[in-house]
Amino acid sequence: MQTERWHFPVWLWYALLCIFWWGLWGFLSKIGSAAASPMQMQILFTLGMLPVALGMLLPMRGKLDRNRGGVTYGLLCGIATGLGTLGYFAALREQNASVVTPLTGVFPVLTVVLAFVVLRERLNKVQMGGMLLALASIVILSI
Amino acid sequence: MIHWMVYASFAIVLWGVNGLFMKLGTNRISARSMVIWVTAGFVVLLPFMWMTTTLSGLSAGIIFVGLIAGAVNGLGNWAVFACLEKGAKASVATPLTALYPLCTVALATAFLKERPTALQWLGIALAVAAGAMLSYEPAPVTAPEEQLHCVQ
Repeated sequence: MQTERWHFPVWLWYALLCIFWWGLWGFLSKIGSAAASPMQMQILFTLGMLPVALGMLLPMRGKLDRNRGGVTYGLLCGIATGLGTLGYFAALREQNASVVTPLTGVFPVLTVVLAFVVLRERLNKVQMGGMLLALASIVILSI
Repeated sequence: MIHWMVYASFAIVLWGVNGLFMKLGTNRISARSMVIWVTAGFVVLLPFMWMTTTLSGLSAGIIFVGLIAGAVNGLGNWAVFACLEKGAKASVATPLTALYPLCTVALATAFLKERPTALQWLGIALAVAAGAMLSYEPAPVTAPEEQLHCVQ
């Protein structure tokens, strides 16, 4: 028998930490983009990520995971995010941010669909409602 | 000329697929290793970006802000990989962490003295509700009689 009781999972702490760090990134980007172009900011972001990557590598004492699949997906994450950002900037050259940003903000829908099909993940009804609210809020906060 | 919608769709597809890649990657290697390989993926694009622009003309202050922004972005990447590594579903972690503009709005309100509009307040309220609902995962609790059976 199973009873439903909410608990605070460990992964949620990391999700909140991520929201904080990315939120701070958005804030600093807002300040920097007043004087730098999006492409210049993207170069600075990449250079700024290098010390963090080095900081992750040092405690591992060179024992970096080299699982072929993991490495491929890791590299693809970086390339896909970077290329997606370049596409976003290209769209911004021809259309207002108030149109492009909310539109591109719906990308989690594709992740949810792919996770449903490829990973066979299933959301409960509460989470499904949460995803719809998240999409609405992402679009509203991007305007 | 390519329509802006094509570029926007390109971004949606790549960012959407990225959510899947993140989960598939953390199923195989550690969150720390993912940060390193993802950064390597970004570096691959660096020569192309250098060909289109340079950093000349930017003040030291703006360069510093950009670099710090990159560093906190890297820490955010580590946190989302750790989140997935600890068992979060990609279909929960991706929409949940995409709520980060909530924090940006809070910081802009506190430090830049920006006042959220009525619409943004609605977005904030929806984001808080969405975050709570997305993180709702009932824990399976074993009934007392089953626990007793396990002991025996």
